[in-house]
Amino acid sequence: MRLRLLVRTVSEMCITVGAVIVLFVVYVLFWTGVRADTSMDHEISGLQDQWAGRPLSTATATATPTASPAATAPQQPAYRDGTAFAVMYIPRLGRDWHKPVLQGTGTGTLKKGLGHYAATARLGATGNFAVAGHRRTYGDPFKDFPLLRKGDTVVLTDGTTWYTYEIDRGPYKTVPSDIGVIDPVPVKSGFTAAGRYLTLTTCEPEWGHSHRLIAWGHLAATQPVEDGMPDSLSG
Amino acid sequence: MYGWIWRHLPGNAWVRALISLLLVLAVIYVLFQYVFPWAEPLLPFNDVTVNEGMAAVR
Repeated sequence: MRLRLLVRTVSEMCITVGAVIVLFVVYVLFWTGVRADTSMDHEISGLQDQWAGRPLSTATATATPTASPAATAPQQPAYRDGTAFAVMYIPRLGRDWHKPVLQGTGTGTLKKGLGHYAATARLGATGNFAVAGHRRTYGDPFKDFPLLRKGDTVVLTDGTTWYTYEIDRGPYKTVPSDIGVIDPVPVKSGFTAAGRYLTLTTCEPEWGHSHRLIAWGHLAATQPVEDGMPDSLSG
Repeated sequence: MYGWIWRHLPGNAWVRALISLLLVLAVIYVLFQYVFPWAEPLLPFNDVTVNEGMAAVR
């Protein structure tokens, strides 16, 4: 009788643990995506509300990528940690693919969108605008990262200007300690002179963390939001 | 274990079944709301940056 109770209790424990593991898989694969989609939509609509309330006259768009950044940079407010400041569009990852970009790359921040490396350049500024995003879980923003090719456009807007970056170097696999990839002039990117660069990072392999995938681009064009969406998005 | 819980629930079979269901839902809620968000960062899917833990080096 004692043995039967023991066997039954152990069996029930095993079934319980199994059920919890299945639930955890559901959480990781499905629920994090639901939560992330909700908070990303929330971030984007918050940004749009904020931009809608801003008078157009404050649009101090840099006319050309070659113009001096010193003229525009100081008068813009600093990005606040954990707060969305831009929306990124990558047509290659899907016509509707757009995600908020938040300041910082903390775990909590990356649950709500893409994260801008705080130590790197501002959007559109000289230097390297570096952004990290989840490959899997939390909405899978960079699931199709390996599809990025030279010439693909990455479009960002901060509410006043559309910034169109062009990918120069497709997915480059490296190790997590290779912090040179987000330098102002990224090492191994093929860029040699200072410029307005973009770096995207995510994890590799898809479900692992042993490596990182990197994509580099440069600022190809800017236009004020009053002029409408860039051709690469509307076309 | 489950037999012990069942025996200690009040009411007839229907009431017990209803309470059991509520208990199961409560456990799932606690797991999704508190336990899994704590456990998930221990998995490798969060490591998407190149300078993780190396901010001091830069």
